[in-house]
Amino acid sequence: MLNRFQAKHPFIRRIQTIFICLAGLSVTGLVVRPIEAPVWQTVKSGQPELNLGELEGAVGQGVLIGVLGGFRAIFADLLWIQTNHYWQQKDQPKTETMIQLVTQLDPRPDFFWINGARMTAYDIPNWRIRALGGYQTVPKSVQNEIDYEQAMRGIELIQRAREFHPKNPRMVLEIAQIYNNRLKDTENAAKWFGKAAAMEGAPHFAARIHAELLRRLDRTEEAYQYLKAHHADLPDPESIAAQIALERIRDMEDELRVPALRRYLPTRTYRTLEFF
Amino acid sequence: MQTIAANTFLEAVRQRFFNTVLTIAVALVLGAGFFQQFNFGASELKFVTDFGFGAIFFFGAILAITAMTQLFFSEIENRTALTLLAKPVYRLEFLVGKFLGAHCLIGVFCLLISTVLWGVLYWREGALMASFPDSFPDGRTLAYGEVFLFGFVQWLKFGIIAAIALFIASFSNTNLYTVVVSFFVLVICQLQYIARDAYADIANPMLAALVWFLSLLFPNFQIFNLGDRMVVPGSEPALTAATYGGILCFSLIYTVLFLLLALVNFRRKEI
Repeated sequence: MLNRFQAKHPFIRRIQTIFICLAGLSVTGLVVRPIEAPVWQTVKSGQPELNLGELEGAVGQGVLIGVLGGFRAIFADLLWIQTNHYWQQKDQPKTETMIQLVTQLDPRPDFFWINGARMTAYDIPNWRIRALGGYQTVPKSVQNEIDYEQAMRGIELIQRAREFHPKNPRMVLEIAQIYNNRLKDTENAAKWFGKAAAMEGAPHFAARIHAELLRRLDRTEEAYQYLKAHHADLPDPESIAAQIALERIRDMEDELRVPALRRYLPTRTYRTLEFF
Repeated sequence: MQTIAANTFLEAVRQRFFNTVLTIAVALVLGAGFFQQFNFGASELKFVTDFGFGAIFFFGAILAITAMTQLFFSEIENRTALTLLAKPVYRLEFLVGKFLGAHCLIGVFCLLISTVLWGVLYWREGALMASFPDSFPDGRTLAYGEVFLFGFVQWLKFGIIAAIALFIASFSNTNLYTVVVSFFVLVICQLQYIARDAYADIANPMLAALVWFLSLLFPNFQIFNLGDRMVVPGSEPALTAATYGGILCFSLIYTVLFLLLALVNFRRKEI
């Protein structure tokens, strides 16, 4: 009787079916995993947007890739045009929202991140100060507070960009520029220019500015040693970058009063002799 | 089974829906050059490639779910399934026939869009070579064969999606319900990797076991997300045959599984 009940009752049959489906899916999931794992590692390693630690961002990227695929680029581009429209109107909330949206939609081009950070850190503080009555009316302390707040938002945006572009020196340079130009924070600017200069593909000026900022921090000896090492690593000693670096080295040698015999000579032979 | 598949394919090709989707997708790929003027990020050829891949992916997924669902329910609603199953035709043959017909249709779609994309890329790269010969010292730079390889990989994925739609159709009563649930499952499969990553970080063993179990139930569709590594040469190394082989095995296993699960439901379904 029980058998007949089990065979015919729709509820039991439904439970049986659900169980079979779940068992089939989970067993297949286990069986397929050794095949899937290496493929997934290969795919994942090539796409930083699939490696986000933050759950919210990861879900967003997963849905966007899943639903829009290659159309992400065109949607982001069209929204970027809209962002520029709000930027021209000096509309702070809409500009910042659109920057977030565009960078979320397509985080691959560095253009959106860098220009978005520049709008946030350099332009929006001016709009906010003008909205409060202008530079003559707003107290200096409030101006500094607004500058600091917007600069940190710009840096935050670039820090998020670094999750997608971990090897791109332009991102690190942008942080350094904000510290240097907007916050006048020489200590942090020097640190970030140094980080940028150490990255592959970084422009030569990053190292020179790092040295210059160390000099401004009264760490001329450190700047001198750094710039000598940088000059020695330059591939072409005749290049303009090498000549400028050498000029700076000479300036620092004068400043440090380095004796003529101890001065830097830009040849590998001399460096070897100096070592001995 | 071949007869059912052939008839399903012919029926699908005649459908206005397929022709509409195909026309929109072809028009979009052909118009990629126009949209390029909005591009702020990547190079022109990368943009056109992304756009074409987007068309295959987006419209292919819509086609796989909608065509499979329509083709299945049209047989049920028109009562032709009753006539068919009254003959010596197994229910499995009916399901597989329907699936193969729909999958062939999606195959035609992928092939056509890939061919159009190949043509657009070939033409654009030729035009760029004529305008900027110094930028192409070694001739053409794109791996054109990979356009078709991408189309093939997506076709495999659409096979799983169509099989999932068939599985859902096997226990649902309406066309709309099947389409909506299939799209939800598609999104869940796209996000499956997040559950797996989360499982590694969860301290609570009960919750970790639950998340691990859930991650087993849905196939990881992100493994088909190869577009950024194909056609346009980049800094990442090219994909190996082992990767494609793994994707092929993965697709075949899941397609067969969902067809069998559809059979489990359909066996008991009253038509």
